[in-house]
Amino acid sequence: MNDLFFSFIPGNSILHRLDPRTKIIGLMIVSICILQISSFSGMALVTLIFAAFVFACKLPLMHFVRSVRPMIIFFLLIFLMQLFFTEGTPLFSLSLVTVSYEGLILGTILTLRFVFLLIFAALLTATTSPSGITAGIERLLRHFPLRHAGISSHDIAMMMSLSIYFVPMLYDNFKNLRDAQFSRGLDIRKEPLKAILSLSVPLIGMSVRAVDDVAMAMESRCYQSTGRSSMHVLEFGRYDHLFILLYFFVVVLCLIF
Amino acid sequence: MSIEVKDLNHFYNKGTSLEKHALDDVNFVIDKGEFVLIGGEVGSGKSTLVRHFNGLLKPDSGSVKINDIDAGDKKVRSHLGLLMQNPQKQLFGRTVFEDISFGPSNFGSKGEALKKRVVDALDLVGLGPEYTEISPFSLSGGQMRLVALAGILAMEPEYLVLDEPTSGLDPENRYSLLSTLKGLHCSGLSVVVVSHQVDEILPLADKVILLKKGRLAFVGTPEEYLSSVSSPLPEITSFMKLLNQAGFDVRDNIYSVDDAFQEIVRSLKIVEVEQNE
Repeated sequence: MNDLFFSFIPGNSILHRLDPRTKIIGLMIVSICILQISSFSGMALVTLIFAAFVFACKLPLMHFVRSVRPMIIFFLLIFLMQLFFTEGTPLFSLSLVTVSYEGLILGTILTLRFVFLLIFAALLTATTSPSGITAGIERLLRHFPLRHAGISSHDIAMMMSLSIYFVPMLYDNFKNLRDAQFSRGLDIRKEPLKAILSLSVPLIGMSVRAVDDVAMAMESRCYQSTGRSSMHVLEFGRYDHLFILLYFFVVVLCLIF
Repeated sequence: MSIEVKDLNHFYNKGTSLEKHALDDVNFVIDKGEFVLIGGEVGSGKSTLVRHFNGLLKPDSGSVKINDIDAGDKKVRSHLGLLMQNPQKQLFGRTVFEDISFGPSNFGSKGEALKKRVVDALDLVGLGPEYTEISPFSLSGGQMRLVALAGILAMEPEYLVLDEPTSGLDPENRYSLLSTLKGLHCSGLSVVVVSHQVDEILPLADKVILLKKGRLAFVGTPEEYLSSVSSPLPEITSFMKLLNQAGFDVRDNIYSVDDAFQEIVRSLKIVEVEQNE
């Protein structure tokens, strides 16, 4: 029942043992690089970096494929939008719309960007426990003068980790619901409108209830945003320094490409 | 005419470090017209097993056949109605009618016939036709579950499979649901109930299937179950076993309160007669 969609997979690889902060900073840097890159050679470099990380984390490639699979329709939409609505050298035209060479390039790059953003995020969530991510975000945010504005770094970290936690839960609920409606003879391909209605109405209800439950559970255990301790004592190790060093190389490489 | 499970194997997350062998070479046959209890602890593979009955999950090896049709065939879903755990959560219609008619209309029922099916299904679960036009979300939890059950019954399946139907119900709703199931079985429907509440289902069952860690631990009649399996037993059976051990001459393969009462009275009468002599 539990699909490994953006969920944590325990392990003992280098990536698993890294400090969460190192991984979060890494994800941010890689994300910025991905958004900066607009050439195929740059994308090839990103692919190479990703391959190295997958090798280092010792998880099957399939896990990352699974993380982006539910988004395929979204990717396709982005690709087609760029393909049809970019002006430039026409390649060929279908009755109403014209496909341009620039559109093809732009569409491919943009789609690749989204795919990479997602699978690098999956890399973080797969190798870091949710509580590790929270601790990492909290420690990183502590350096910002947020508390003067009345926002504690704990609050933000808690909000972020809760939203990460809700993704697989939402997906699990969706799958149970889909199974229930399939059992009642729902055929998504034949009647997509009925499918959307019969799945979204209960799903929204379930989600609101789940959020309410979590809020209630936090309240009843006297959640307070200041002065919380964490299970994770964060300390930079040898590999963390090495990785931070590596990030500089990645940034420089991205600037070159 | 039967549900035939043959050498069924199922893995979750195959090929990862979290791989789980959820079903391990499971074999059994459920004949048409039987009332079957599928028991086992939490995590023993019960829910995984029933998801194979109508092709929601595909076997990694082995086969599941419903009336000689492969369970992966979508035709099976109109013959075998599966009511999932906490089915009150799957309701979505604006009215009870809209929700119950979802299943049968997906299988091509229309107009007056559809209306009749919905009203009949409501009647089977003990709700009147006045419920058709109200919102399912205004009902109580127990009634919502009955509406969900009616939604499956309106498909007029030959086999009714229910996953933990009584969990979270209060005693009154529980009792009425069980008597509804009993009535459905008497009218010729095959009923399969997945439950770890042996106490309440065993008195109704013709056959018991017990899973342990994904393996088949027992298949047989309730009487055989009581004599060959040490746990989980109904409380009344444990009580009779204790009486027996304390030297009372009573049968201990008993699983309903009525039978237990009869047996104890019989035993006491014998003692009385012996004392009089």
